[in-house]
Amino acid sequence: MRNSFFRILVLALIIATIGVLSIYSSTFQKEGVWQGIYMRQALWLIIGLVCFFAISSFNYRKLWDANYFIYGVALFFLFLVFVLGIVRLGAQRWLKFAWFNFQPSEFAKLAIIIFLARYFSRKSADDTSLLSGKFGIFQGIILPFIFVAVPMFLIIEQPDLGSGMMLMLVFVSLLYLTNVRLRYIFILLVSLVLPLPFFWHFLRDYQKQRLLVFLNPNIDPLGAGYTVIQSRIAIGSGGFFGRGWLSGSQSQLYFLPESHTDFIFATFSEQWGFLGSCLLIFIYYLIIRQGFIIAQRTQDTFGRLLAYGISLLLGLQVFINIAMNMGLAPVVGLPLPLMSYGGSSVLATFIALGILVNIDRTRNVF
Amino acid sequence: MERKDILNLIIIFMFSVLLIGLLNLDILQGAKFRRQSDNNCIRLIPQSGARGNILDRNGQIIVDSKISYDVMILPQELKRIDQIIGRISRILGVEAKELKAAFRKNFISSSVPVTVATNIDVKKAILLGEYKVEEPSVMVQPKPLRHYPYGPLAVHVIGYLNQIDRWRLTKLEDYGYKTKDIVGFGGVEEKYDYYLRQEEGGLSVEVNHQGKFMRVLGFEAPRNGKDVQLTLDLKIQKIVEEKLAGRKGSIILMDPQTGEILAMASYPNFVPTVFVNNRAALISGLFNNPDAPLINRAISSSYPPASVFKLNVACAALELKKINLATSFLCQGSTMVGARRFSCWDVHGAEDIIQAIAHSCDVFFYKTGLLVGAQNIHDYASKLGLGRNVGFELPYETGGFIPSPLWRRINKFQNWFDGDTANLTIGQGDCLVTPLQAANMTAVFANGGYLLSPYIVKAVGGLDFSAKKKKLTRVNFKKSTFDILSKGLRKVVSDEKGTGNALSFLPVAVAGKTGTAQVSRGANHGWFVGFFPFDKPKFVICVFLENGGSGHAASVVTKQIIEDMNKEGLI
Repeated sequence: MRNSFFRILVLALIIATIGVLSIYSSTFQKEGVWQGIYMRQALWLIIGLVCFFAISSFNYRKLWDANYFIYGVALFFLFLVFVLGIVRLGAQRWLKFAWFNFQPSEFAKLAIIIFLARYFSRKSADDTSLLSGKFGIFQGIILPFIFVAVPMFLIIEQPDLGSGMMLMLVFVSLLYLTNVRLRYIFILLVSLVLPLPFFWHFLRDYQKQRLLVFLNPNIDPLGAGYTVIQSRIAIGSGGFFGRGWLSGSQSQLYFLPESHTDFIFATFSEQWGFLGSCLLIFIYYLIIRQGFIIAQRTQDTFGRLLAYGISLLLGLQVFINIAMNMGLAPVVGLPLPLMSYGGSSVLATFIALGILVNIDRTRNVF
Repeated sequence: MERKDILNLIIIFMFSVLLIGLLNLDILQGAKFRRQSDNNCIRLIPQSGARGNILDRNGQIIVDSKISYDVMILPQELKRIDQIIGRISRILGVEAKELKAAFRKNFISSSVPVTVATNIDVKKAILLGEYKVEEPSVMVQPKPLRHYPYGPLAVHVIGYLNQIDRWRLTKLEDYGYKTKDIVGFGGVEEKYDYYLRQEEGGLSVEVNHQGKFMRVLGFEAPRNGKDVQLTLDLKIQKIVEEKLAGRKGSIILMDPQTGEILAMASYPNFVPTVFVNNRAALISGLFNNPDAPLINRAISSSYPPASVFKLNVACAALELKKINLATSFLCQGSTMVGARRFSCWDVHGAEDIIQAIAHSCDVFFYKTGLLVGAQNIHDYASKLGLGRNVGFELPYETGGFIPSPLWRRINKFQNWFDGDTANLTIGQGDCLVTPLQAANMTAVFANGGYLLSPYIVKAVGGLDFSAKKKKLTRVNFKKSTFDILSKGLRKVVSDEKGTGNALSFLPVAVAGKTGTAQVSRGANHGWFVGFFPFDKPKFVICVFLENGGSGHAASVVTKQIIEDMNKEGLI
């Protein structure tokens, strides 16, 4: 029982420390406010750890009850961002607080997963069997889809296409894990994919450009394709052993934009090469695997779905972010959990891990 | 399989994709990306070495390089460029407008230094160096430039420097030449460019994404080119050019024992600095000048040899035993060849071979030539090195031309007539030789029967290879032939009525032959070929004056040259 707690804690700490070091390495030559940015990340890491400890001893079953409240709060903040975005006539992902920027979509992802886990683990009152097996198409697909679609729409409108699409992926995966019939899932997928060409017109110009650039980065090497090209150069130039700590010219001389946030993997990979990157990916895999193991040995359906959801959330973010660093996925604004600079992301990830640990800790109660 | 296992497999699959992607980028394409990464952040700031010097036979510098300075700006922040340029313009005393224009013209990208001013002097370079302390994006780059301390002296031998043209580039690309390289054109600069040219070194610096200088990664010292030592004697060259100045033509002085060229001048000449400073108007003036100042008249253009050619006819006649010392012909001022009357320039009376050479009697040679035959005259001219390349080192040597019946029949489908032979014997008609060929022929008489291969480069990079260059070819004539010829050549000067009598009052005994070539347009060409001192020839001289009037004029120039050489104790 204590086992999973320590494993996840140690693995997360390793990655977060690597993240702080990478942020330091990508900004240490910059002047002014950039100098102290890794300190801020370290501070967020400490706050995240506190949250992790707190949440891990907080019975996750209480989330079952607080479910609607959490969902409502998340929706409220997303709506706030949406309204402020309209007021400011531009991209808006943050809410400005006293001394930090709060990014609600990071927490909203978690809230939606909690909500879905709750929704699909309801039991019928008479025979305590799962309701989800008996769901028709409306209850099994359409209703939860609406609950997911509302926050997802608000997130995509921020605009944050990456997080939105990822929520959809998590949603489909969770559907797959519950007893909802495959036929319904298939119908959902078809009805999502078919109108995609239609949605093309609703994408913003830069989003279209990014998708086109993903297909061929060289169509605009100094514009939209620049980041991908530089990121691929950064990763590739690392070679097998990497260029060494603080010796990556791509990230340290700022050829690579966003080298401390979305493209932190490229920064890391340039310095530590194939070896280091493989190790990092492996550690990520270990965390996600730990989540899956926790999910499998949890008897409680709510806890199991929650654990799967959190693991999938992490896994998909890691995969999409690293794939986009390597040019295997279009550039979307998704951070690399635990490594990218950003308090909200670190905090949300640690809270998610805390819940995960707590599921494992309290499973014996039932 | 349960759904959760399939999901598990999907996750494993996704992470494997990531690892394969890493493998592809890091291992398979790693080298390529490393190179691209270096291209991103490493800039080379070239620093050129000095081109090799060109020295005379005594090691004195004819052409060298002196340092000039270029001012360059690393254009990082556009806002500050105006301010920086303003500062530079105040220091240099040049209008800021000019600098800005140069900046706009030379700007390539924000990471490449832009040259805004060239060839500034040391004082200003030092002043700018002080400014550089507070403004590191200003760079003062030393650049060696060709320096010609004697101006146009020996310019045709040396050649000039200019930016490489497309034709040369296609030829030289494989030897590491690049566009915008400065290469030699004409003369030693072209022929020995590969040795003279410097190797570029430079700084490699690291820059950030804005092209801002971060640190110096390495420095490779530029290497200077190799010095080329010529056989020219600077003092003689100076005398020769001084005497030739103002007249079109060419003068060559050569060592008759070795074939070393001691002086080679051609006029009109030009000042090669116009190419260094890239003065477009002056350069196009040079190319369009009808007098063709860029042509080295000593080797690159050929002229009718006139009476100088008679030496060849005399050799042929003596060798073929058509005449001997006792033979004499009567000159009555003209003679009939076929139905045409060919006249002599004077009435000489009865003349033997020696007198005929001394007085340059045309009638004697018409008759001798007819005895010898045109084809023989052509063949003997070839033996004496006329009408074919001497294999000189400098580029753009022309072969000249000696006509023959055979050539005419093959190429023109025309017959050869005796009148043509008569014309040929006095070196007129289609007959053309270069001054260098005339000098080379004269050397055969001076050294008693060796055809030389003249050369002008003695050593490259301190490595003397004159021993290899010295190539003597025995001309298989009888000794008596040479004796008679040299007697005749001496008579030209010593005889009171000799055509080169002007040279007889010199303290040195000179032998030689004048020539006056009639040309269809303009004044006659004047020739004088000869050697001195007569007893122990140390110099062969060939003076050719294009439209210079007569052989007499050429012998007067020769006289002045020998006088000056004597005064300076060079003989």
